[in-house]
Amino acid sequence: MKLARTPERIRVRGAATLVLLAATVALVLLAALLAACGSSTSTSTSASPGGSGTVTLWHGDVDVERAALESMAAQYNGTNPPWKVQTVFSGNSDYALQKLLTAMAGGKAPDMMYQYGSSLPNLARSPKIVTIGDLIAKTPSYDWNDFYPAARLACTVNGKIKAVPSLIDNLCLVYNKKLFDQAGVSYPTAQWTWADFRAAAKKLTNASVKQYGWAYVADGSEDSVWRYLATLWQANGDLLNADNTKAAFDSPAGLASMTLLHDMAVVDKSVYLDTGNGNYMNLFNNGKIAMLWTGPWDMSTINKDVQYDVEILPADVVHASIAGPDSWIMVDNGADRVQGAWSFLQWFTSAKGHLEYAIKTGNLPIRESETKLPEYKQYLAKYPYAKVFVDNLNNVTKARPNIPQYPKISIALGQAVQGVLLGKLQPQQALDQASQQVDAILSAPM
Amino acid sequence: MSARDAAVATQRGRRAGRWDRVLASESTTGWLFVSPAVIVIGLFGVAPIIWSVVLSFQSNDLVTPATWIGLANYKALLHDPMFAASVRRTILYTVLFVPVVTVGALGLAVALNRRLRGMRFYRTAVFAPVVTSTVATAIMFNWLLDPDFGIVNALLVKLGFSAQGFFQSPSQALYCIVVMTVWGWLGFAVIIFLAALQGVPQELMEAAAIDGATRWRAFRRVQLPMLGPATLFLVIWLSINALQLFDEIYVTTRGGPLSATTVVVYYLYQQAFQVFQAGYATAIAYVLFLGILLLTVVQLLIGRRFVHYRS
Repeated sequence: MKLARTPERIRVRGAATLVLLAATVALVLLAALLAACGSSTSTSTSASPGGSGTVTLWHGDVDVERAALESMAAQYNGTNPPWKVQTVFSGNSDYALQKLLTAMAGGKAPDMMYQYGSSLPNLARSPKIVTIGDLIAKTPSYDWNDFYPAARLACTVNGKIKAVPSLIDNLCLVYNKKLFDQAGVSYPTAQWTWADFRAAAKKLTNASVKQYGWAYVADGSEDSVWRYLATLWQANGDLLNADNTKAAFDSPAGLASMTLLHDMAVVDKSVYLDTGNGNYMNLFNNGKIAMLWTGPWDMSTINKDVQYDVEILPADVVHASIAGPDSWIMVDNGADRVQGAWSFLQWFTSAKGHLEYAIKTGNLPIRESETKLPEYKQYLAKYPYAKVFVDNLNNVTKARPNIPQYPKISIALGQAVQGVLLGKLQPQQALDQASQQVDAILSAPM
Repeated sequence: MSARDAAVATQRGRRAGRWDRVLASESTTGWLFVSPAVIVIGLFGVAPIIWSVVLSFQSNDLVTPATWIGLANYKALLHDPMFAASVRRTILYTVLFVPVVTVGALGLAVALNRRLRGMRFYRTAVFAPVVTSTVATAIMFNWLLDPDFGIVNALLVKLGFSAQGFFQSPSQALYCIVVMTVWGWLGFAVIIFLAALQGVPQELMEAAAIDGATRWRAFRRVQLPMLGPATLFLVIWLSINALQLFDEIYVTTRGGPLSATTVVVYYLYQQAFQVFQAGYATAIAYVLFLGILLLTVVQLLIGRRFVHYRS
């Protein structure tokens, strides 16, 4: 500073400093206030017992599903409940677990959140996740056993109900009729065996035009694993023993299903191996893949000009399928808020409430009684393919073990499946490796 | 504080209390000016860093209450073959990525450092990948390198080679990541070199020409030494980024196939968010941090010997 410093100047500077100090303090206070506002979304206290205000629900829905969810919430709020529901889009559900963990660590968790079923065993260990079973016990009208078995299993951890079903789907065989006609192969039936399936896939494969009979997501993720589990169950095998202490898939059934993958992907080369980026759907739309094992979530992405149909999966011993049930979890942000959130979920997952939502979105019913309601006809008329998926829910009798170690087991098994599909591992070798790893995972202390 | 400042302060000190003096001092004013930034950085930068140190000494899954386990996470790292493998892959990647980008960018920068018609177009073209999002780049390479439907395999087959697995082949996937990231980073390095080249004083080049130096000699003896600081910066910057490789892996191979592209940060991610060992994951992060710190110090020390700074 070039100016000479007279005492007057210094006094002015001192005053300026004070103003600055005051401004900074005000800024910090403002920031703290804003942060506080963010954490407690209108916890207005009123005189009524149970309180009132707004409970938040985080979800990962987009497009049609988001609009449907928002309209359901608006409809609920229209009935003037003491606790209104605010839906918040929290990003792709693939990251819902990470988001919730971070939010819980920061003390800013929502009251309800959409979570994948596979995330539940780990979440359930947190004392902040509400044991919804206790609420259900006090609400007899909420007929728990009306939910499909696969959905109930997915929400139950160590015998306790920790979530309510939000979505259930399952794998069916979706096929391009035109490609079957061209290759002169008769359409799949509900009686198809693995041999029929493999032979058809081979005939539907045409290397010269890069056409494949089947597609498999071979990125080693859970996407790879759960399709394998479907084949394992079709061969009447099991992933783990009854008390989840040891691997049980290194068995004749496990070998049969691994061999099926090997024979089709490596011997026949009739399988398009998707690297996990979802190219298989584009290729199905372009008539390059004849059959998919996929669920209702993919149906809206099938182009209108593709003539397709849906059949249940082929059988080795049984026509087993696998469901990927998702759930609504509740976070304990205080008893009043829990009650507010539970009121909404009760309404939203009732047969009537959910069927209305299902008609809007095409999601499968989560309760068996939904199929007996008069509006179910309307649902089937709007989503004709859904009937096979709904009926196939009865073929889902087993579920992935709801234990905290499952993510690790999934990684080990994913490597085995990927190794076999890429021809890097022989089926028995892959099973040996994976079952050793799984035994180690299960015997290690958590 | 300069002597004059001190004199002014004493002068004022006679009349006002000590508190006033502190408030009036320049450093207080300075801190007040930067306090908003300090608060934000402290809240979102320093605090998490400190918390993560604590985390690395815990067995913590972010869900259940944590337990203090001292150095156990770090000890476990020493005996973790998956971690060792991820370190080897990361080093292999860095050793390929950094020299290729540095040398490639230098060549491109020299080529672009001329007055030609349409040079702006070429420079833009070289820089375009830098401003392309990683996800877009990844989707493009996924399709280019698709074993069945990719244009690269189509060309290879036409030229009489056999089709390759690329991202689906455990032995090729990491090299494909190298190619993809080199493509994405080259433009950035070119810009740095281009700026450095244009900073070389014209009179030096003229002097070299008058002394009868060929173009190559002038480049070798005049321009190249002048690029030292830029090169050092680039090598350090690229190394840090290479060691922290994650996004490109996440959007293409997800660490596969068969863990072939599970580099350190991807392994860290798996540990934290797939199997819920946040304590273990932060220990990995700190080992990586120390590795990067060590490498940077070594690079700076070597740089001090070889890099010529103009005063």
